[in-house]
Order: sequence, then structure tokens, then C-alpha cells
Amino acid sequence: MYKTIIIPNNKKMIDLDCDALIFGIKDYSVNMPFYIDLEELEKIKKTTNKEIFVSINKNIYNNEIDNLKKILLKLNELNIKGLFYYDVSIVNLKEKLNLKYDLVWNQEHLVTNYLTINYWKNKGVEYACLSNEITLNEIKEITKMSKAKLIVPLFGYIPMMNSKRHAIKNYLKEFKLKDNSKINYIEKEDKIYPIIDDKNGTTVYTDKVLNGIKDVLDIDVDYILLNSFMIQDDKFKKVLSMFKTVTSDNKHEYFDLINNMFNADTLFLHKETIYKVK
Amino acid sequence: MKPELLAPAGDLERLKIALLYGADAVYIGGNLFGLRANAINFTIEEIKEGVSYAHSLNKKVYVTVNIVIHNKEIKFLLNYLKQLEEAKVDAIIVSDPAIIELAKKNTNLQIHLSTQQSTMNYEAIEFFKKQGVSRIVLARECTKEDIKIIKNKVDIELEMFIHGAMCSSYSGRCVLSNYLTNRDSNRGGCSQICRWDFNLLNNSLNEIKGEKDFTFCAKDLSMLKYIPELIDIGVTSFKIEGRMRSIYYIATVISVYRKAIDEYCNNKKNYTYNIEYEKILRECANRDSVAQFYNGIYDNTCSYYNGRKEISNQDFLGIVIDYDIKTSIATIEQRNYFKKGDIVEVFGPNTELTTFTINEIKDLDDNIIEIVNHPKQIIKIMVPKRLYKNDIIKIKH
Repeated sequence: MYKTIIIPNNKKMIDLDCDALIFGIKDYSVNMPFYIDLEELEKIKKTTNKEIFVSINKNIYNNEIDNLKKILLKLNELNIKGLFYYDVSIVNLKEKLNLKYDLVWNQEHLVTNYLTINYWKNKGVEYACLSNEITLNEIKEITKMSKAKLIVPLFGYIPMMNSKRHAIKNYLKEFKLKDNSKINYIEKEDKIYPIIDDKNGTTVYTDKVLNGIKDVLDIDVDYILLNSFMIQDDKFKKVLSMFKTVTSDNKHEYFDLINNMFNADTLFLHKETIYKVK
Repeated sequence: MKPELLAPAGDLERLKIALLYGADAVYIGGNLFGLRANAINFTIEEIKEGVSYAHSLNKKVYVTVNIVIHNKEIKFLLNYLKQLEEAKVDAIIVSDPAIIELAKKNTNLQIHLSTQQSTMNYEAIEFFKKQGVSRIVLARECTKEDIKIIKNKVDIELEMFIHGAMCSSYSGRCVLSNYLTNRDSNRGGCSQICRWDFNLLNNSLNEIKGEKDFTFCAKDLSMLKYIPELIDIGVTSFKIEGRMRSIYYIATVISVYRKAIDEYCNNKKNYTYNIEYEKILRECANRDSVAQFYNGIYDNTCSYYNGRKEISNQDFLGIVIDYDIKTSIATIEQRNYFKKGDIVEVFGPNTELTTFTINEIKDLDDNIIEIVNHPKQIIKIMVPKRLYKNDIIKIKH
């Protein structure tokens, strides 16, 4: 049976009935609902028995390496369960700094096959967090062929694009406009996509929430990841409860319930992307 | 040391043109595992021919194997890598580390790390060097300081993009194309959503309306002004973007950078920046270009708010396929409409830019014609200067 790992939308959600939590670190994480410093993380660690994962998922620059080392060492002291990484510098530093916590290969859209998952496993990376752009059948094959522990995201808005550029600030500056929205939206053909421009750049999210509850029983993974970013607390609590109690008898009912709560979709779980345009 | 000038080539014709016009190496895509699925791309036989041609000029060919692989492709990878080794390619450009390992264990291929990995710090580069990568294609987000630090910290070849279109996102971190058009951007299907216009809304879903629509579109990259600086920093390879670009674009851009590199390397003390080169590049691309992240600036001046006005360039009139020294008659293959009386320019690998007027045009039967308006039409014109095969005729602005 899978464990549930959530990205909390706020600190109140830490108490939700899940097995593990993922936190972003100030200045070193992107695409997270909020970011905390190491002191806050230490406090949280003391107040919960849940597994604590940290996501350092931004692209790392040379001038961030020294501070990154300090963070990685402090995380070692805090005895976290694991660290989600995007930048490969972290794999190099794990070996150099002799870090004891596990790494999670989390290069978002690049985690698409078992060969590369096994490559990272051989490099000491214990977990892989799968891409949202692969199909259920591909996930099933990965679960059979992979040596690493697997985390599969099955609920939430999905980051589609991450840029260093400040797309909104630049637009406002170019046309001398003012706006202080924390979350903006871009609209095309009646679809509305959340977009956030913060210190680390710009992220665009899907217009729809991923709803993978119908398929969760068909895949044998270690964790399912539920992302509460931009989801109301009460609704997320219901979703979490459904993922923890889903059975083959109620999965269609739950699927419909989630679809009724959100503009939701199975995204690529049952739809393959086109590789070559003929 | 003089850096390598690395050109894109979408097919054999462009490969040959790029090398003739001064590229030291070309990068191409095979039919499998490349990131430009919609380019014509090379069969293994064409790769062999391209490599043979390049090696005859003492130049190099690199092949992109930089898609994000899916399970179903794994079984085909090794055979493909072995075919590339047999074709004697000089390196493969890879983004997936599992392919690095597969190639290292089973072939003697040189391995360059693709910009798709967005590599921009010395720790990541040290990791990839330990895996057997001989060259890193730096992330486009690298600043001058980043490149200097990396150069000082890790002894490895560095390749950087110096000219062409930019991704709006970190390479590898954009799947807008997947979600909005069902085409996989990390597997060669990018439909350039970043160049679309959108309505921008605030948190109350009210439109924030500027004079133009919101877009992610970035201006092109041009590092012409910084060529001396980059040479002095020690960047190994200067890469031009654009495997789907025309032979005119490739010939023009390569010849400009060839001259700039040679002029600086041959006489550093007396080198002066040639503003004419900048003008040539601007006319050729039809898009604004800046140095992007190199100077740490990535504000609105690096963005493009003029909509999709990239009309196809009509400047390229024809390519010289023969020149008769006795009669001064050039045989030309047409590429765009031109007519008697047009003032045109010609340039080539061994032909300085020269202006002349087309006074008379004849077809292959020596009939006088007024206009040349059939695609790839072969015609003859008198040119008062010695031309060579593969010289390019363009309109004079």
C-alpha cells in the first residue's frame, strides 16, 4: 500500500492525515506554496512524527553553491527523510559532504523512463518522482523495471513552465502598468492558467487539476504525491481522505466527486503526447 | 586558442554550406532521439556522408541524441549509438545521463552534455565530468561571471550559444507545448507556445491590458559584441542556434562570426568592432537580438512584444552553381523572386561582399527574361567579378 506525501498549502496543513510532507526552502525552491527557513523546518520537525522531505528544486547558480552546502549540512543534522532535487550539483555534493538522507530525483518533466531512474539509483539516489507527462502504462512499466523507490504525483495543479525571467514584472514595466497580485492568470481560448512571478522567476501552471484517483490502485508505487497548492484547505482535506480510502468499489465515485469539486482531468495518464508531427 | 565555430545543419545541403562558409563543426540530428523532430534530419547514410565530407575538410560533426527518452525507446538506444560510432561522428550531444553511461560502456563516442540539462554551476559540471562527459553546453542563463567561475573551477570544454532564438524558460523545464497542443516539447515537438499572445489577468480575473498582449516571447541572442571577451575567457566552442534555418541564414551568420573570430584572433591589439556585421545579422534574422543573460540583465528589454512578425526572409535571391571565367557569366539557382534592374549583393566563403546591378537575365536556352519567379529556376546573369560555386546572391537594402 502506498504512503501519502503532500505539499502543504500552508502550515496548518501539517496536521493533516498524511504520511509525509514536502517543504520548500527560502531562495532554493520553486513552484511551492510557501517557503520556510531552516529554523522553521527544525520547529516543524519537532512537532510532527511524519516523514519530512525538503524540495531544493531550483536551478542552482555558482554564487549559491556555498550557501547550498550549508543548507545541505543543516538538513543532515535535522535528520530529514529525503531531499527532492532538480540540479545535479546536489548529487555531487551529497557524496562530497557525506550526507545521510536520501535523494529524490525530481527533474520534473525529465523523469520519464526506468533506465534513467536506475542510473540515478546506481549513483545513490534512492527515490524518483515521476513526470506528469507520462502515461499510466508507462508508470506501470517503470514500477516493474525500476530499482528505486517511486513517488507518483496524482493530484494538484502541475507546473508547466519555469523561467528565470520575470514575465509579468517585465510586461508591467514595458507598458507602465501596475498590479500586485500574488497569483496572476493568463488566458487563451477560454482557458485560464495560473502564473506566478516571484523572486526566482516565473512559473505557469495547468488550467486543470490532475485527478489520478481512478488509477491509483492500479500502480504499485511507494508514495503518491498530492499537491495542495492553490487548493482550498477543506477541499484538499476531502481529497486526501478519498485517496486514503479509495477502493475498487468507490474509485469511480471518488473520481466524479473530485471532478465535481475542481476543473479536473487525468491529463496524460490516458493520453500520449505526439512525438513527431507528420 | 581560437574557439570552434559550431553551426546547425538540418540536412546535407546546409551541412556543406555551413562548413564552406567557415564553421569548424556542425551539429545535426539523426532520425532518432534528436530534439528537432520536425526538421528533415539525417539518416545514418546521410550522417556518414556528412561526416566524410566534414572530415575531408578537417572539420567535425556532432549528432544530437538529446530527447527525453521514454521506456519504449530504451531498446533501440544502444544500436543507434553503435551506428553513430560506426559513422565516425566526432561526438554525440546528450541530455539524459543514462545515455552517457550507455555510450561510455559500449562505445568510444565523445560525449557533450546538452543545454537541455540547464547546467550552470561547477558542482554539476564536476559531476558530469566524472561520468565521462568531455564538453558541457552551458545553460543560456549563464552570465559572464558564471562562465569565468566554471572555467576556473573545472577543466572541461565549454560550449555556449552565441546566436539565435532563445527559450523563454530554463531548457528542459517547459512542457507548455505538451499541455496546450499535445506535442512533446522535450522530445522534439515544441510548438513555441512562448511566442503566443495571451490575456494577462490579475488575481480577481480582471484583464491587465497593455498596448500589446502578454507574451513570454524572448528576443534572439546575439553575442557578436562579446566575441573578444568570450575568446579571452576561454570558451571552447561558439554555437549558433537553428537546425531548421535556411542555408541563407546559416551562410550569413556563420560568415559574419567567422570574420569576427578571425579578425580578433589574428590581431588582438588592433581589433575593432565592425558595426556592419551587426547590420548584416539584423537584416538576416528579421528579429531583435540582445546579449540576454550574459550581462545579468533579463528584464523587459530582453522580451519581444511585437507579436509574431517573423515573416519569411525574402532577401535570399539565389545560389551560384557555376561561374564561367571567360564570359563572366554566373549560373544561378533561384530562391526568391528577383528581376532585371535589381541591385544585389553577392558573398561567399572566398568572395568579399560585392554590390552589382542585374542588367540582363537569360534562361538556359539563352532567351532573355525580365523576371525570375519560379522556385529553383536556373538562370544566367553577367557578374563583373569572379564568383565561386555556393556563393550567395541577396537583395541589397
